[in-house]
Amino acid sequence: MNPMLEAAIWFWIPLCLIPIGIWLIVSGKASLIGKLIALSGLVLVMLSSWTVPDSDSTAGGHLILAIIAPSFLLAYGLHGMVFGGNVPVGRLDSSARWSGNVAAFVAICIFSLMHWYSFTPVWRDGTVNPYWIVFWPTFLLFSTSLCSASAVALATFGDNRFAEAVKLAGLSVLMTGIALAAMIFDGYLTTADEFRDHLWLAAADIFGTIVGITLSIGVFALVIWSYERSLPLPESSPPPTAEEIDYVVSLAVSNIGGEEE
Amino acid sequence: MKPSNSSWRLLILAAILPILLLITIDLSLDNSFHPESFKRFGNAVLTSYIVVGIILIGNLFFYADSRHRPSAPFVGMIFALGMGILLAWVLISQDDLLLEANSGLRSQMLSNVVHLLVSGTAMFVASIMAIGFTFAVITGRERMILFEEE
Repeated sequence: MNPMLEAAIWFWIPLCLIPIGIWLIVSGKASLIGKLIALSGLVLVMLSSWTVPDSDSTAGGHLILAIIAPSFLLAYGLHGMVFGGNVPVGRLDSSARWSGNVAAFVAICIFSLMHWYSFTPVWRDGTVNPYWIVFWPTFLLFSTSLCSASAVALATFGDNRFAEAVKLAGLSVLMTGIALAAMIFDGYLTTADEFRDHLWLAAADIFGTIVGITLSIGVFALVIWSYERSLPLPESSPPPTAEEIDYVVSLAVSNIGGEEE
Repeated sequence: MKPSNSSWRLLILAAILPILLLITIDLSLDNSFHPESFKRFGNAVLTSYIVVGIILIGNLFFYADSRHRPSAPFVGMIFALGMGILLAWVLISQDDLLLEANSGLRSQMLSNVVHLLVSGTAMFVASIMAIGFTFAVITGRERMILFEEE
């Protein structure tokens, strides 16, 4: 079979199935079918490095497969940490908070070990997955940035939240420390020089993606606004007739009142 | 309470500052500018514009029932998306402007989509972590006593 056609069938079409499935889920029309479509698309994308091993694009699917376990562990840990605390609904057992802390810490450790130990995602012929060095600096830069912004948001907009802001700032410093360590010390299959090169590209990626998304949403808002503005004003409905008023009054009277004590 | 403009500026500064700090340290270690980062920025802008545009057109289609599926917004968005694709095609076709280590236009465009998939996943996981930790520290505090019963 033609390699392009093979890649289209086993990687690109499944990749397109994921947003289609999500659209069906959020529209509420065929939620179950949407879940099945999105899940099958995601599974096929993750398995694409075996189904179409010759396609370079499948390294992206391979990387998602490699990081899915620590990502789920991180999400599980955060769920336990949030719902093991003071929440009005859906509160978990108090042990969920510390087990969640442990899970989140282990997840961050696994991500670090994927850089500095043999857990590094290996793709073809023992070489590192080329997208690992894209994922890792982007994740570190963006988490550092968001934790810092969250800390400032808590301190600025929150009421007496300074202690919590300091904890978040501490997490931001921890992520910065991991990034600095990666800039200085070589990884298991990648060098510090490579990481430093890709740190620039990751920063360009983050700013570029934010600018692109903002532009797209801006154009969308402009299109909707200009369409809504072109619509004629809705006609006012005529006032109720005397019969309609009498009918409404009779309904109200029949539902108001009661026996006097 | 309505937050002041200076608070928003502080928030944006807090988001940008760690990235600038790490880049400055990187610059001091390497002492070299990376011209490839401009290409990456341009490719990221165009790819995210096109991909998010497609997602928004999908939303228009799936949510338009309540407005009797008007065609004007569709045409407008498809035109805006077409302009984005045309601009990407023109800029990537120019030698050494946006073409990275790829053989040609098609491979660069496909590589951009996979790149966005990976960097988008990284940003998504980082967002989950930051939002999760924020709520975890908020819910971690003992409930405040607003008043004591006599």
